[in-house]
Amino acid sequence: MARINDVGGTQGFGPVDTTDDTEPFHADWEARVFGIWNALRAQGVFNLDEFRDTVESMPPTEYLATSYYERWYLALVALLERKGVIAPGELDEPGGAR
Amino acid sequence: MTSGDPAGGHSDASISRKVRRLETLLEEKGVLTGTQLDEALDAFLAGASPASGARVVARAWTDAGFRSRLLADGTAAVRELGYMEGAEQRLRVVENTASTHNVIVCTLCSCYPLRLLGPSPSWYKSEAYRSRVVREPRAVLEEFGLRLPETTDITVWDSSAETRYMVLPRRPEGTQGLAEEELAALVTRNALIGTAVL
Amino acid sequence: MTDPAAAPTADDRFAPGARVRTFRHDPPHHTRLPRYARGKRGTVVEPEGPAALADVNARGRGDAPVEQIYAVRFAARDLWGEGDHHVVLDLWESYLEEDSDDER
Repeated sequence: MARINDVGGTQGFGPVDTTDDTEPFHADWEARVFGIWNALRAQGVFNLDEFRDTVESMPPTEYLATSYYERWYLALVALLERKGVIAPGELDEPGGAR
Repeated sequence: MTSGDPAGGHSDASISRKVRRLETLLEEKGVLTGTQLDEALDAFLAGASPASGARVVARAWTDAGFRSRLLADGTAAVRELGYMEGAEQRLRVVENTASTHNVIVCTLCSCYPLRLLGPSPSWYKSEAYRSRVVREPRAVLEEFGLRLPETTDITVWDSSAETRYMVLPRRPEGTQGLAEEELAALVTRNALIGTAVL
Repeated sequence: MTDPAAAPTADDRFAPGARVRTFRHDPPHHTRLPRYARGKRGTVVEPEGPAALADVNARGRGDAPVEQIYAVRFAARDLWGEGDHHVVLDLWESYLEEDSDDER
């Protein structure tokens, strides 16, 4: 059993969408996620392998249903909760899900 | 896949709100400050763009000494041009020849020479590219409009550890008279990854 | 390579050109040996420079052993049973064992 990220040689993902998107980020929130990740990594809050481990540990259905930077956001939250930087539920909005 | 994609992503407004909430919470806790985030991001991506990779390639085409140093030790050579200062990862430049072609991937995640080329294109991070290019590179390259001769020996570099890869494409025919900046303008991001030739 | 980080050292278990085999093991944790390259035969291209073993570093305890990483070249035929291309992976030393001739 390999994790869902380990896709080398897996069949069925179809043709490559070769669109050459020149903008580094497609929305401001993607840049913010990247910025938060970069700052926390640079400060040593986590290392790159811990972060990858967290992304890879997502349930496969969730991994495949989310966009690239959504995975990063979800992994950041999971990792920060595990490390006690934020408490579980602390990000919940009043009356709504996270 | 982009957010709001019918295949699964959530709406931009919803995720945007959540990311703001996380940032605010980390600021309230003193883990992050807004300026720290912006400054670190600017520093991390300073000078990182496909144009930087293109400049490196144009220098290699016009300066044989630089080309040898680039192929021998990519990290040190690009530092001569002011790139990847303080980078934790190594850069290895792999050269295309008349009979060999190189293409870069990261099948496990999305490793890419960010510090030199900036964030990678969406297709580089896609499951379709990552799963298939190690298995059937010719078919994948054809989807990019690149049909290589049957005799070309293809090497796929799967960035699985601490080295980041960039391709040194072949210099196009008929460009003898061009200046370094004019040559750099010919180099595309896909050529630096190996999904195009020039 | 003249990159000093990647110069072969006396401590390296494998020299450029060495025939190696990757471990077959399917670990229940983070690893940087993709499943498509497990239990496969390849050739060491050169050392890439030492780094903390990702499998242990992912635990975040700061006690990961530092090992040499090697660029290892595989023939597509050995990975997939067909194809004429090659794949190069960067693999930590403990992912590799010697591939002795009599095993073939």
